[in-house]
Amino acid sequence: MNKRSTWALPYFIFLVLFVVLPLVMIVIYALQDGSGHFTLQNITKFFTDKDALSTFALSIEVAIENTLLCILLGYPAAYILADNKLNKSAVTVVLFILPMWINALMRTLATAELFNMAGVPLGKGTLLFGMCYDYLPFMIYPIYNQLKKMDKSYAEAAQDLGATPGQVFRKVTLPLSMPGVWSGVMMVFMPTVSTFAISEFLTNNKIKLFGTIIQENINNSMWNYGAALSLIMLLIIGITTVLQGNDQQEETSGGLI
Amino acid sequence: MKKFLILAALSAVLLSCSGNRDQVLKVYNWSDYIDESVLPEFEAWYKAQTGEDIKVVYQTFDVNETMLSKIEKGHEDYDVVCPSDYIIERMLNEGLILPLDFASIPDEINYIAHNRSPFMHQMFREINPSIDANDYSVPYMWGTSGIIYNTEKVTAEEAGTWDIIRNPKFAGQILIKDAPRDVYGPVLIYLKQKELKEGKVTLQELMHDSSDASLAAVESYLKEVKPGVLGWEADFGKDQMTKGRGVVSLNWSGDAVWAIEEAAEVGVSLDYIVPEEGSNVWFDGWVIPKYAKNVKAATYFIDFMCRPDIAIRNMDGTGYVSANGAIEVLESQIDEEYEAIDLSYFFGADADSVHVNPVLYPDKAVIDRCALEHDWGKDTDKLLAMWSRVKGDNASSMTYIILALALAAVLAAVIVSKSSKKRRHRKSRR
Amino acid sequence: MKAKRFFAKAYIWLLLIVLYAPIVFIVVFSFTEAKSLGNWTGFSTQLYQNLFNGSMQNSSGLLSAVKNTLLIALAASVVATILGTIAAIGIYHLHGRKRGVMTFLNNIPMINPDIITGVSLFLLFVFLGISQGYLTVILAHITFCTPYVVLNVMPKLRQMNPNIYEAALDLGATPAQALRKVLVPALRPGMVSGFILSFTMSLDDFAVTFFTRGTIGLDTLSTYIYADARKGGLTPELKPLMSILFLVILIVLLVINIRQSKQLSSIEKK
Repeated sequence: MNKRSTWALPYFIFLVLFVVLPLVMIVIYALQDGSGHFTLQNITKFFTDKDALSTFALSIEVAIENTLLCILLGYPAAYILADNKLNKSAVTVVLFILPMWINALMRTLATAELFNMAGVPLGKGTLLFGMCYDYLPFMIYPIYNQLKKMDKSYAEAAQDLGATPGQVFRKVTLPLSMPGVWSGVMMVFMPTVSTFAISEFLTNNKIKLFGTIIQENINNSMWNYGAALSLIMLLIIGITTVLQGNDQQEETSGGLI
Repeated sequence: MKKFLILAALSAVLLSCSGNRDQVLKVYNWSDYIDESVLPEFEAWYKAQTGEDIKVVYQTFDVNETMLSKIEKGHEDYDVVCPSDYIIERMLNEGLILPLDFASIPDEINYIAHNRSPFMHQMFREINPSIDANDYSVPYMWGTSGIIYNTEKVTAEEAGTWDIIRNPKFAGQILIKDAPRDVYGPVLIYLKQKELKEGKVTLQELMHDSSDASLAAVESYLKEVKPGVLGWEADFGKDQMTKGRGVVSLNWSGDAVWAIEEAAEVGVSLDYIVPEEGSNVWFDGWVIPKYAKNVKAATYFIDFMCRPDIAIRNMDGTGYVSANGAIEVLESQIDEEYEAIDLSYFFGADADSVHVNPVLYPDKAVIDRCALEHDWGKDTDKLLAMWSRVKGDNASSMTYIILALALAAVLAAVIVSKSSKKRRHRKSRR
Repeated sequence: MKAKRFFAKAYIWLLLIVLYAPIVFIVVFSFTEAKSLGNWTGFSTQLYQNLFNGSMQNSSGLLSAVKNTLLIALAASVVATILGTIAAIGIYHLHGRKRGVMTFLNNIPMINPDIITGVSLFLLFVFLGISQGYLTVILAHITFCTPYVVLNVMPKLRQMNPNIYEAALDLGATPAQALRKVLVPALRPGMVSGFILSFTMSLDDFAVTFFTRGTIGLDTLSTYIYADARKGGLTPELKPLMSILFLVILIVLLVINIRQSKQLSSIEKK
């Protein structure tokens, strides 16, 4: 059983080359000023900049709301798509990702135009709509996969033992689908914090997200500060999700067989 | 599967070998900024002039700074690039561009030398007082900053002052470019108009002004403007103007031409004006970066771009205004529909009364109150910080409540799972 | 039960209508010559004609951008799926700190904004002196695509009976056979989702491609469009291009769907 853990080695090497090494570059830039001298000013600049801090908080808030919205809309969709009685086509689920194959710029522009024509003012609401639009398939897919191949015998056993459909869902189906939900959460929450293009179009650039700040800094040749910002975000979000993740995984793998 | 991968790898390797580098010219330019049909013509012309084969590899970029960073840090070997004025300034100051060897081009085809506009020549001199940028770069397109306005909702008088962006009559219909450089200049000019009129400060000095006092003044002005702003346009404000959603837009003359034309097709009437307080001039120019590998073809390319008929085609194909000073270019733009204006500053003494669209070529009186805005260089972060203070602070108290709730929920989940694990552990032990 | 079916179908249809509204919008407005999206200057198929008769500016550039986009997306997704699946199996069998480290590293490309991934890979390639072009772009795409594969295969691993691999080995299969005949079928839905999501991420990427493409004139649809949006508005011929691409994919899907249901009904008949 343990030998299979060595299968992670190729990816580990790949990650070291293409993720860790570039990260080292980012760290170097983050800890330098424009003329190449070592400095911590980029990091302190973030923590003393009220604007950057509040934008970071806002981005996390939007990410949480977007993730919840995606779960709320995506779980039922995945459930219906995975249920053989409610959905006989295997291709319907691909329909959910198809819009994403149209270039994001054009797609978001078209969405903004539709809102404008419908007279809906561009702002937080349209921003969340746009976010959910882009990230919904990433929530639907893993949940759908979990539910589709779920061992029906558990649900049937629970029903035989007298559980109502609601109880079956809450105590059997839902917990068994959690790994899928968790993957969905990861694929939605993390990128949302650093998204920026959607907010440019769907709020007329009035709501600024953290990704926008980083983008602005890079686009103005301020790579040092931009690198520092992304490093800070990486550490905060990365460590949080890993701690949560380890907890999650031990929970589910301990709970079942 | 394996076969496909091998094929893919092979093709990747093959594609990255481009043959003899001497026969390739790598051009790096903005998108939609050239009439593409001139490229094969250049290849033929180069062969005719030098007897050598040449293939143009044409690449587009969207942001000056990232283009520059890639060249600076990655030593990218583009042969000829078309940066904006302040980036040419930066590249010149940092020694990233090569001097142009005009002498290497035979006189009969030396279009660069013969078609210089005195105005552009002067602008280039202003880039750096100690190095003549004219030796390093040739202008390509140029224009001004001003106000695009909807003629049915806004009068020319109202649009003729920068203060229109603060005008409550148009609140909620004002679009401002999300470009701190391009907004700072005009606002500062407006704020200092009294000093300008009294001669206490010149336009040139203002364009170099990055003092904290001026930054603070501009910041508080912009904060007053902010409530009436419909959007901070990054790419699509001119679209909003054509749909009549915005009626005032702080924008460049190049985009104005596009917007006016497009709006006319859907029945919206737009016009462009340079406010009376003054404005800035912008231009893009061809340079040869330090790491270029085909300097000869690059020099010939720049020269070819200065040939009057090519300049005219690029103008017509893109809608922007050529910086070429040849009289043929002027003649191609004559349109009796427009009133006569004085373009002697650009085309020489004979052009003091010509019928040309003033949005394309402003009258001398307008140009006299325009100046070139300079690179902020090391002070860029001050400008950016000011800009984000103006646009920013969007987190409300709601944000922090939600965050606190989320944190509490996460902590609760962790505690619950840990305690249920203990319970299960205890149960299994029995 | 019938009511449940009705509401379920209605829900899915509602979601799909909302998701496809912007796409339909683009298709509708591809039939007018107005440059700005949303302006209507009368019905016209001129843009479609421009696409094919070469009167559009830089149509060859656009065509090569489309080809590059597909080539890069396909190559990156295939490699990412293989790499990610093997990695997921490996990570699943790790514990404690090692697992935490792998998980963290795997998450990094997803947390980082695209532009930072692009910038950091650019700096890496410059530092290593690797000439940038197709290879570097594909490597960069694999970097941000693989985490999606890992995240889609992991739940399936958890759902799978952990003993079937051992059982196959006991019955005489080689590890490679066990992988192919036992693990892969169990994990296939996750692998397929991972592949599709990787393909999607690669299609849409701009910043990473921009920074790792070098100077050989490599454009993908994304870099082409983003550069195009800066000066003078989007080239209007992009609308018919997108519409055609979309239609092609839709038809392919329909064909697959019809063939699948024919297969299903023929199985049921037996």
